[in-house]
Amino acid sequence: MSLLSVNTVDRLDRPSAYYVGKKKRRYNDREDDVQEDSMAGLRDATTLYVGNLSFYTTEEQIHELFAKCGEIKRLVMGLDRFNKTPCGFCFVEYYTHQDALDCLKYVGGTKLDERIIRADLDPGFEEGRQYGRGKSGGQVRDEYREEYDPGRGGYGRAYDDQRRREEEEYGQGR
Amino acid sequence: MAEYDRRNHGYRGGRKRRYRDDEDYDRRPQRRRYEEPPVVQVRRQLLTVAESAARRVEDDVEGIAKSVVENYEDEEMRDTFINIVLDLVLEQPMKIPFVTATVLVAHSLKLELGAEVLNKAGNALQRYIDTGAWREVKLLLRFLGILQPVYEGEGIFPLLEELFARAVDLQTASSEDLLGLELVKIILFTIPYVMSSPATGFETQASALLEKTDIIASTPHALVDLVNTFSPEEDKPAAGQSVISLLQTQLQEEASRGWKLNCLPRPWNDLRDGETGEPKSFYVAAKVAFPQITVPSPVQNGTRALFPEVYLSVFASQDVETVPPTSDIASSLLRDVLVDTINLLDFNRVATAKFLIDVDCYFTPHTFVKRATPFDRMRDLESQDLAWKPEDVAVDAVFSQLFQLPTPEHKLVYFHALLTECCKVAPAAIAPSLGRAIRFLYNSLETMDLELSHRFLDWFAHHLSNFGFTWKWSEWIDDLELPVVHPKMAFIIGALDKEIRLSFAQRIKGTLPDPYRPLITEGKEKDTPEFKYMAEMAPYSKEGQELMQLIRKKTSDDELQPVIASIEEQAKGLGVEDPKVPSTDALVTSICFVGSKSLSHVLSCIERNKDRLLAIGTESPRARCQIITSVMEYWVDQPGVAINIIDKLLNYTILSPLSVLEWALSESIAAGTTLAKTHVFEMISATVGKVTNRMRQIVAARTQPSLYEPQLSVLGETLARERTDMQALFKFIEDSIISVATGSNDELMERGDGSGDLPEDAIIRQWGRRWLRVFRRKAAVEESFITDALVHANPVGTVAPPTGSSTAADGDLDIADAE
Repeated sequence: MSLLSVNTVDRLDRPSAYYVGKKKRRYNDREDDVQEDSMAGLRDATTLYVGNLSFYTTEEQIHELFAKCGEIKRLVMGLDRFNKTPCGFCFVEYYTHQDALDCLKYVGGTKLDERIIRADLDPGFEEGRQYGRGKSGGQVRDEYREEYDPGRGGYGRAYDDQRRREEEEYGQGR
Repeated sequence: MAEYDRRNHGYRGGRKRRYRDDEDYDRRPQRRRYEEPPVVQVRRQLLTVAESAARRVEDDVEGIAKSVVENYEDEEMRDTFINIVLDLVLEQPMKIPFVTATVLVAHSLKLELGAEVLNKAGNALQRYIDTGAWREVKLLLRFLGILQPVYEGEGIFPLLEELFARAVDLQTASSEDLLGLELVKIILFTIPYVMSSPATGFETQASALLEKTDIIASTPHALVDLVNTFSPEEDKPAAGQSVISLLQTQLQEEASRGWKLNCLPRPWNDLRDGETGEPKSFYVAAKVAFPQITVPSPVQNGTRALFPEVYLSVFASQDVETVPPTSDIASSLLRDVLVDTINLLDFNRVATAKFLIDVDCYFTPHTFVKRATPFDRMRDLESQDLAWKPEDVAVDAVFSQLFQLPTPEHKLVYFHALLTECCKVAPAAIAPSLGRAIRFLYNSLETMDLELSHRFLDWFAHHLSNFGFTWKWSEWIDDLELPVVHPKMAFIIGALDKEIRLSFAQRIKGTLPDPYRPLITEGKEKDTPEFKYMAEMAPYSKEGQELMQLIRKKTSDDELQPVIASIEEQAKGLGVEDPKVPSTDALVTSICFVGSKSLSHVLSCIERNKDRLLAIGTESPRARCQIITSVMEYWVDQPGVAINIIDKLLNYTILSPLSVLEWALSESIAAGTTLAKTHVFEMISATVGKVTNRMRQIVAARTQPSLYEPQLSVLGETLARERTDMQALFKFIEDSIISVATGSNDELMERGDGSGDLPEDAIIRQWGRRWLRVFRRKAAVEESFITDALVHANPVGTVAPPTGSSTAADGDLDIADAE
């Protein structure tokens, strides 16, 4: 209801820098046009990308939390491309744009299954996007993680392989 | 300003920063080489005015005003100042006294600047009055009220009188009027700010106004009982007073004490005149006229439906006072401005939480004790006058919204998230306050409005899920002896179920003291509940298994038929009244079992057998009821999953809303004990919510301003039909529950010795009364929503105007353009 076009504090119901940045990189030369274009795709968006889930978090748990922002139309679990097991992200689709915005404001950045989850407005789910794009089938971020994360398969998989190889070699040498 | 910051960030270069640490090695050109331009400085100072306890706010107020006046010729500077002042008034109301102080000083230094601010504020106020945005009107009046010393004559009072005249008109026209009450509330909330302003000599006007508002403010509205936190029927002393009647009394008291208004900040009192060093007087320069405002007659209400508001404090019944008592006007003033802050800033809960934690920055220094003062220390401090615990006051305001009836302004989850955020910002200060709030609410469970106990339950479980599920369960161990139908026991069972839904049984079991563990049964720890037809002894076990295998193999519907027929054949032989019942049981139980892996699995199973399931409903109402029974029984240990499935079956229209009600309130009423189950209340609320939402969508379609014949008649008929259905639904609830509430339910009467005097019988009757209250309120709210909406709709028979003249409302256009 504000008089003016901007708020006195930042809004949490905006697309993240990730989304804006991604589009911008792609067409770097025409920055302003693209800014507008990319926003147009999100103007009526009813879908959210949800990240940083534990691999063990179930559809029911996600439903329980996200339904607090409105009735859920569709829930698509992110899967490992090869194993078809959950790999820590999902798409939540609502019936209305407002519910999706409310979800950004009220659920993004809170905990589910004891992890801080991340929510980002998404132009809409398309077949194929439910699969991880990392080399080993999961999400890219799980390839090169140096910290141990028990909810997301331990160390990054690329490092994990390396570690295993080293350990095997060490064992052989002995 | 947010927009401004973002624009700067845009120039940081396109490279995506993968890690936050990159900030340290930032190789952007150093921009801070130059002096900050005055306009940027003013913007920053104004936006953060009063936020820091380390700075003297009076210095900032003066600095800002001086800068603006010195750069008066700079248009950007003037616009920035005026816009941010008004934005802050409308978005961060706790800062109003400080922001207005900058305008007071600016005005005293440069009349033209003051005039420009007043002009813009007046235009805005006019627009909000025209569109019926009453909160914005209240905030702008507060701003203009503090500017009282700059006006000629009586300043703001004639406008307040005019608003009061409109309120009288509305009240005279209808005894149910709420808009008039809202206007009176606005007038009352303006008076203290006018009286705290540097203006003097307006006591007569204020008292005269108060005398007039008394009759309207003090007469209880018929709906107050309906929206009370505590039903007067269950707990008369706990039932709260209406906000407006409290405020009226407090103002009268304050008037008799010479308008001390202890908590309100008066930054203007500590401003010194630059030359003389004397306290600054605002009675300099020529006075200006109060902005010209026309109040339409009658006034309109905006988009938000009005209801009476009741004052709730979860800390009111403590033996040590930590929040202002309702006898003190501070209770109303603090609450009002905190609630507005909470509701206006829902788009950034982190910022809102910060404002709540910093509440002590925005009131006089002796209003609050030091932050995070432990509760026990409060007792020692009690001798000091007027010092409340800032965390309690802040948390109390959030709870007042979470427990607002019939519905708060924002989704409930906003208030959950806000409390979580407060806890994150200041865990040591907030967590103990929440603990005391929880204890109060838990101890009020028997008499609290049932919908609110349910909101409490939902918040409690969600909140704990954000903090490792830690709660001092040990303090409620004695209550585990209570009967299962006792509200406290129902709460414990319901809360644990909700925790499990957000987590998993084993995890929750690990957070509980031993005496609670039996509540987490073995069944709850199982991911996949047993398939009852696996037991050889189970009736129809062979067919059940066969059916399950067929469904698992995704075979076509035709192949299911022989198995179903065989069950029905057997049932007939056994003399089963409706053979479709056992066959439906086998089908639905199989679907549940095959789909038990996840919600999408069960959905695709339902999808594949949709036609058969749809047919069941049309063929046999009893079999349709069995669908619900089968789902609820299969998932008996995880009712959350069951009600989710029921919800989807409603969407497929395999179930009708009435069938769900029949199942819960007639088929499985179990002498009323079912009313004590939190998931049953949840399921019925969701089902009724589906119907009322749909109803509201139809109303929205019917009341579009550009709707003409022939669509008008079509929608009119749909509306009438659905309205009748909705009324039938509420009637069914009323009729089913009233027998429980009055104790005339047959089963209830047959329990025990039939006397109806068993200790649990009284509890069950109370459940009945509490259910009734909730659904009677819902029915009343929906009816009034429809009636109110239709007042402004085109009547049936209206034809489109001949030419395509645009009918879009002007107000809407402006809002759309704003973003």
